[in-house]
Amino acid sequence: MVLQQRKLGIREYVSISILMAGAKATEDTPTMLYKGVQNAAWMIPILAAGIFFIPFLLLNKTLLLYQNKDLFSVIVKLLGKYIGTCVCLLIFLISSIGISFDTRTYTNIVRTFYFPTTPTFVIYAILMAVCAYGAKKGIHHIGSVSYLIIFYFVIFFCIALMLSAQSSSIRAMFPILGPGPFKIIKDSVRGLSLFADFFLLTMIIPFIRSRKEVRKGTWISYLFITFQLSVAVLVYICLFDTSLGTIGYPFHTLIRFISLGSYLPNVEIIFFVIWILSAFIRFTVFLYINGMMFGHIFKIKDIEYLIPALAMIYLLIGSMPESSIEIAQSKLVVIAAVGPVFTIISVILWLAAVLRGEFKHAKNRNSM
Amino acid sequence: MMKKTILNMLLKKFNTEPHFNEKSNQKEIDLKGQDISRNYEDNLEIFKSIFSVPKNTDVKVREFTIRSLDRRAFLIFISTMVDIENIQETIIEKLIKSEQPSGRIQDITSYSMEKTATNIGEITELITGGITALFIEGYQECYLFETTKTRGRGIEKSENEVIVKGAKEAFNEKVIDNIALLRKKIKNENLIVESQVVSKRSRNDVFLIYQKDLANDEILENIKDKLAALDTDKILDLSILEQYLEERPRSLFPTILYTERPDRAASFIEEGHIILLMSNSPSCLVLPSTFWAMLHSPEDHYLRTPYGNFIRILRFMAIFIAAFSTSFYIAITNYHVGMIPPDLLMAIAGTRERVPFPSVIEIFMMEIAFELIREAGLRVPSPIGPTIGIVGALILGQAAVQANVISPIVIIVIALSGLSSFIISDTSLNFAIRISRFLFIFAAGTMGIYGATSLFIFGLFYLVSLESFGTPYFAPMTPHFISSKDLIIRHLPFTERFRPGYLKPKDIARQRKG
Repeated sequence: MVLQQRKLGIREYVSISILMAGAKATEDTPTMLYKGVQNAAWMIPILAAGIFFIPFLLLNKTLLLYQNKDLFSVIVKLLGKYIGTCVCLLIFLISSIGISFDTRTYTNIVRTFYFPTTPTFVIYAILMAVCAYGAKKGIHHIGSVSYLIIFYFVIFFCIALMLSAQSSSIRAMFPILGPGPFKIIKDSVRGLSLFADFFLLTMIIPFIRSRKEVRKGTWISYLFITFQLSVAVLVYICLFDTSLGTIGYPFHTLIRFISLGSYLPNVEIIFFVIWILSAFIRFTVFLYINGMMFGHIFKIKDIEYLIPALAMIYLLIGSMPESSIEIAQSKLVVIAAVGPVFTIISVILWLAAVLRGEFKHAKNRNSM
Repeated sequence: MMKKTILNMLLKKFNTEPHFNEKSNQKEIDLKGQDISRNYEDNLEIFKSIFSVPKNTDVKVREFTIRSLDRRAFLIFISTMVDIENIQETIIEKLIKSEQPSGRIQDITSYSMEKTATNIGEITELITGGITALFIEGYQECYLFETTKTRGRGIEKSENEVIVKGAKEAFNEKVIDNIALLRKKIKNENLIVESQVVSKRSRNDVFLIYQKDLANDEILENIKDKLAALDTDKILDLSILEQYLEERPRSLFPTILYTERPDRAASFIEEGHIILLMSNSPSCLVLPSTFWAMLHSPEDHYLRTPYGNFIRILRFMAIFIAAFSTSFYIAITNYHVGMIPPDLLMAIAGTRERVPFPSVIEIFMMEIAFELIREAGLRVPSPIGPTIGIVGALILGQAAVQANVISPIVIIVIALSGLSSFIISDTSLNFAIRISRFLFIFAAGTMGIYGATSLFIFGLFYLVSLESFGTPYFAPMTPHFISSKDLIIRHLPFTERFRPGYLKPKDIARQRKG
């Protein structure tokens, strides 16, 4: 029986985006934010969301003009074959470097906190192998798995944050503006990279059932992520206060810190399971999107054969830095670049669409 | 793609099929294609040779003269497949004694079901199915009486899917009884019982049962095509057919539901599923089926809603405990000792002090011992089987602890996971969970909780990609389809208004109020 192409529903789409972007709150991003603006760090996600909102809205508007076209097809269509391909290549390179360093960061977390004697490479290889297997299965199956675990992720994340409330102090929030409004705004621009994942997620738009679901799902997850990041950073600030700047991975310190009553002093493993599940999903989606990009740029149709090779390359790139400090430094560079680049591309795309009169065409098409 | 074809070519080269000197039966095949003749002697000769008559003791040929027609005739039937008394009374006696002048066989015999045929092959096939054939001198066609009467046990209680509340009867080996059991539950003219022959030599019938106005035509066609495409000599049992039909026969997880309860089958038919029955198989196959169908038990619905949900949650927990408790124990004690409260840790360490093995070996030994006891208990040929199993487990456990081979905590963990595995009533899913338990133990033994979690997410990716006749394994949860939301929790019976959307039934909403 020839099955009709199954499409992603809104549930799966929202789960994917929440798991993908929400993982940011559980790694070293909060620390980076704190280093910039101290106790006003929790505002950065909200402000960055506000700033990114306009280009992202424009991008979505542009993309939704075309039915069943992903980001790259639209870029090539709007910017022409040569410039378009160059832009695509740029995005692909940025996200490739992003995934390499991110996976390495996660591997480091697993190693430092839970498996200090296991070689990094083993942990890293398992991570990439599982992600490659998942990505090979295709976006529909990734969506299904994310939907199966999203509730546990959200619930356990909330429980972890709530459990930490007993020993945190709300006073750490003050002075509320931290280093001053100007610095906050400046850092918010850098914080745009928090939403880079949403930019990449526009690659999977053609797999989603309807445009309405894309629009609705995108904004639901956008709001949720903004809220989640902001609350998570706030909780970290209240718990760790000024020492947050020196803690590498606040989420993992937090789950080590909390306890369930006096009888179960260490419950981090339960949270670790949920966290690593979400990490697997995050990188599976990431890998799949990168595979799609690569396939698109080099005109390869069967991307499932590409994915293991890409995973291997990312594994090798990610293994290059010797220590976690090196990664943190290189990540800073990537982060500083990602936000502005993606924002500019979004705006350029919209401008190109306006100049070429695509919006008018769409209107005419609809009225016809 | 390319790689695969090259590999296949190579494999073919090295793996040639052996050649046999087979005897050709072209003559018989040709013979079966012909029609019977008017000549009495010819017919007698042909059928005696086809059924190897004096040699084949239970094939009976009865020759006599029909009085009213004054013609010679013979009956041929297989005595072990027919109702002999009935034949004697309603066919032979009537034919010999009757003086009806009309001469129409229908008027002479009083046997109710009767038809005619001319093709030798067709007649042979019917005779092997227990039908009696009457050949009359000078007649171009042969009369067939449906005298089939097969022997078997009666309808008994369901033994493998035990429930407390609700119908107890189970399918048996007689397919007629099984169909009757279903008809009795669904009194609707739209219930279709279609039959299809699936194997060439043994000519096993498969019965497809579905509701004409519910079942999706595409799925139905797909199943029929698959049945028609089976190229095999024999499929003796439904459980073997199951393996022929599955998309991934090597997969650890089942994709077709096998049940022996007619009430369960009826409820699936009512949802728009398609049921397969076969003679000689005391069970049915439900197509397509999902993970949830395997997990649920009919009792969930027979009990009142809170109780039904209670046992369902218990079963859900049991799956997790059966699959993960041992691997969790290994991961915790080997890699994440900090998680155990200090007092308990001391206690565990104390009991393990004299045990010379690492805990992975301990767990493996005990798990295998448990599986052995379980299998042994199943095969012991008497009702004392379970007793032996329990005694064996107790003595084995007790003695092993005293001999310092294993620590008592391991017994607790193994007993818990073993007990939980009994709660999963579906045989196939039960095996799947029990086997994956060993994989998880291995993963946790090598990489702690990280290994087990990696295997878990790997398994999830695998499971969501499984399909049963186009239905995703976790439908309707994900991908989402409209349904009565009867998944982890069931709702009140009258709020379950929709048939599962993944079946694309012709009528999705059940009867509603007003």
